[in-house]
Amino acid sequence: MHQQAKIQSELPTQQMLMEVTNLSFTYPDGTQALTGINLRINTGERIALVGHNGSGKTTLVKQLCGLLSPGQGEVTYLGQSLEGEHLAQSRLKIGLLFQDPDDQLFGHSIYEDVAFGPRNQGLSEAEVDRIVRQVIAEVGLDELLYKPPHALSYGQKKRAALAGLLAMQPDLLILDEPTANLDPAQEQVFLGLLQNFPGTLLLISHDLIFLYELCERALVLDRGHVHHDYLLKELVEHRPSLREHGLDFSFRFAENPALPTVTINPEIHPVPEVRRKNQCDEVLVDMRGVSYRYPDGTAALKGIDLQIRRGERVALVGENGAGKSTLLMCLLGLNAFRGDYRFADKPIHAGKGRMIWQQTGMVFQDSADQLVCPTCYDEVAFAPRQYGYSEDQVRVLVEKALKKVKLDGFDQRIPLHLSGGERKRLALASVLSLEPRLLILDEPTAGLDPQGEELLLEIIREIDATLVLVSHDIFFVRQLTERVLVMHRGQIAIDYPLSDFLSDKNLITLNGLDYTYRDQCALQIRELQHRHEHAHPHKHLHDHNHRHGELAHQHPHEHEHEHEHSYIHRHNETGEHQHPIQSEYHDHDHPGHEQDDHDHSH
Amino acid sequence: MSQPLYLSGYWLLLLLFMPLAVYSGFRMLLGVMRKGEGGKERDWSVPQLEFETGAMSTVHRWDVRFKLASFLVLAFVVVSLQHHQTALAALLLAFCGYRAACIPWRRGFKRLLGMSGFLSMFLLMLPLTAVRQPDDLLLIFGQLEWLSFNLRGLDLAVLIILRATTVAMLMEPLLATAPLPVTLAGLSRMGVPQRITELLLITHRYLYVFVHEARRMQIGMEVRGFLKTSNIATLRTVGNFVGMLFVRSFERTERVYSAMMARGYQGHWPQPVSFRATTTDYYKTALCLALGILLLGCDRLLLVGG
Repeated sequence: MHQQAKIQSELPTQQMLMEVTNLSFTYPDGTQALTGINLRINTGERIALVGHNGSGKTTLVKQLCGLLSPGQGEVTYLGQSLEGEHLAQSRLKIGLLFQDPDDQLFGHSIYEDVAFGPRNQGLSEAEVDRIVRQVIAEVGLDELLYKPPHALSYGQKKRAALAGLLAMQPDLLILDEPTANLDPAQEQVFLGLLQNFPGTLLLISHDLIFLYELCERALVLDRGHVHHDYLLKELVEHRPSLREHGLDFSFRFAENPALPTVTINPEIHPVPEVRRKNQCDEVLVDMRGVSYRYPDGTAALKGIDLQIRRGERVALVGENGAGKSTLLMCLLGLNAFRGDYRFADKPIHAGKGRMIWQQTGMVFQDSADQLVCPTCYDEVAFAPRQYGYSEDQVRVLVEKALKKVKLDGFDQRIPLHLSGGERKRLALASVLSLEPRLLILDEPTAGLDPQGEELLLEIIREIDATLVLVSHDIFFVRQLTERVLVMHRGQIAIDYPLSDFLSDKNLITLNGLDYTYRDQCALQIRELQHRHEHAHPHKHLHDHNHRHGELAHQHPHEHEHEHEHSYIHRHNETGEHQHPIQSEYHDHDHPGHEQDDHDHSH
Repeated sequence: MSQPLYLSGYWLLLLLFMPLAVYSGFRMLLGVMRKGEGGKERDWSVPQLEFETGAMSTVHRWDVRFKLASFLVLAFVVVSLQHHQTALAALLLAFCGYRAACIPWRRGFKRLLGMSGFLSMFLLMLPLTAVRQPDDLLLIFGQLEWLSFNLRGLDLAVLIILRATTVAMLMEPLLATAPLPVTLAGLSRMGVPQRITELLLITHRYLYVFVHEARRMQIGMEVRGFLKTSNIATLRTVGNFVGMLFVRSFERTERVYSAMMARGYQGHWPQPVSFRATTTDYYKTALCLALGILLLGCDRLLLVGG
């Protein structure tokens, strides 16, 4: 069992904003979501709320917003219980950002939506107009002020939703997975906005790297209990805690754990060998001059020339709206494109992709989009049944696919009741059942916790097919592909080998995507995990001014003493660590040690 | 006794293609208009209506409550017209109103295209199914005595199409010259329960989300080989699809409501819109009502005149 820490010291000047006392909550179906939660949130705190899916995070934030009533216990805001008129007033000061921005963009235009909260606060129209324009400019959407939400990109929707909350000038801002599905540029915008937010922050996220940038305090929930409540720094230092709560992302360093250098230079992070055994020079996908316009006339793809060989593993990167998803739709023959497209040397006509669907498989960004059946078995059996396989053959294919994604035994489970990671693997199984020649993965890690990411990585590595991976996660690109296509404004701006992509320092100037940011943060955390201070009694030779009664002098001497000491070291699975052998003589600060008794021989 | 007129069988083929020709004509017209627009991205930093109209027309400046009352009364008048002459006059007036509202023609034609597939079927179905009456002029194609094309049915189809087109063209100036929240606020000021107007507003917003969701799920099924056929398996799959869509929509409804509550919603949508009627609004409304009465009067006179 590892340590369970509580924050002991609180600054006396911090004012209490919210307090949760002995809170328990059970859903009508009998699910015990929260048990005995005690929590105090002070003004100005930045708290990371983490834990496995189903640990009670969303239920807790709904309690904090007064969207659910406590079954037992009490939730107070500024010292008063969240009830009646005080609850109505509190909601105007507590902002909650939902994971799916469509859930909270219910206005007719961005302007109308952002104005909803301030109008409910009873502000005058002139004041509402001033606040709305100011906040929308802050999130960088001032040119889209009157655009309807359904016509925005995902990242724009997220920012518009945040603007709707910021316009209410909340005391407490609660965000549920704010960075899920965002490209690095949008993530940076979000990070900047939240760093400048003056109020109290509570963030739910599996993205420890993002949390590390913003939060000081970590609240870890486990099966409805507060399992840890301590400094985030302490959490990230302690790998067993991270692993226990599905947050350990150290698999990202597995390729070269010894090097702490912050860079994605391939000389330092060697590119893994991903060339598959079946890779050959046969061209599987051959696109020439493929263009596509949306029905409103906007050009989405402009003269795409693309050849993918059988067995090749290709990454497609680029900012939101660069045309990646449209290109995938064309690859599947779903969009009415213009140009020449041949799949395995057979011409594919625009909008008539049916002839290649048996040989291609696509896992969507939101796995719910491809899960329509009542059981996992039916879901995986869907495609083979459509192509007329016998039930015996279907059974074999389903078992094989479920085993491949490590969901054996899930046959009769209901897809809707699975966790996010399990759903993603089920969606993968549903396309693997036909053993496709071309596998397309659209943001496979979106919304997954590190444990889910690690498992998915392991599964995808084992799949023997031509791969097209769309991802903002440079680690996955590095691990799974050998060639990178950078898309920008509907074109393939650069097409080069992975090693060239990793060493390309000019990429940020092309599309504003800083792919190195996450690596830098991750390495900072890793540094913290492996080089932090411990108090150990230890003995070493040192040299400083010291006293023996009336005699004060200085010379090298050795005796055992205890103080904080910085070591480079490793943790094992049980949390124990080992220090390397220190040199016999080392010098460092010993605060107050000069005044200690020094009883040693001369 | 009805009067048969014998024609070659080729005329039947020609008539069968009539609905398709109407629909295709609209599509081609829209295609040409789209090319003319050149796929320009709109300037969303200004309200959408100002962009579309270029300038605030007289219809834009009309108080929404008066506009709603006038156009709704006119729409009821139009559907009660029983003569082609008056229906055609009403359609011309609707086009004049449309022009006065400075709305791009493409928008109106797009709406008509949506209706044309359904309406053009009347051109075929009503003449072929109308009950024979004395004095009806029947077209008989070759030896197909049992299949007659009743011109009275065609008359009726044309009248229905004229009335439907007029109402559609009247709705455009009504809906495209004020933001939807303002129009709905006007509707609630006229006595329609606010809960209903709020529902309409939310429905309009989430219709797009629903359609996108359904489209993505449909693609998810198609790329796994789903092909609609007339068998039990297809029915089962479509049932699963609809069920899943319903579950997702239901869950989203709960989340949207929670999001509204979390932003201070307490049962009514904040409506900052204020209306102030001017003398011009009364004049415009009076003109509309007078036109409506005139149309109705002429129609009834024609009826009496036989």
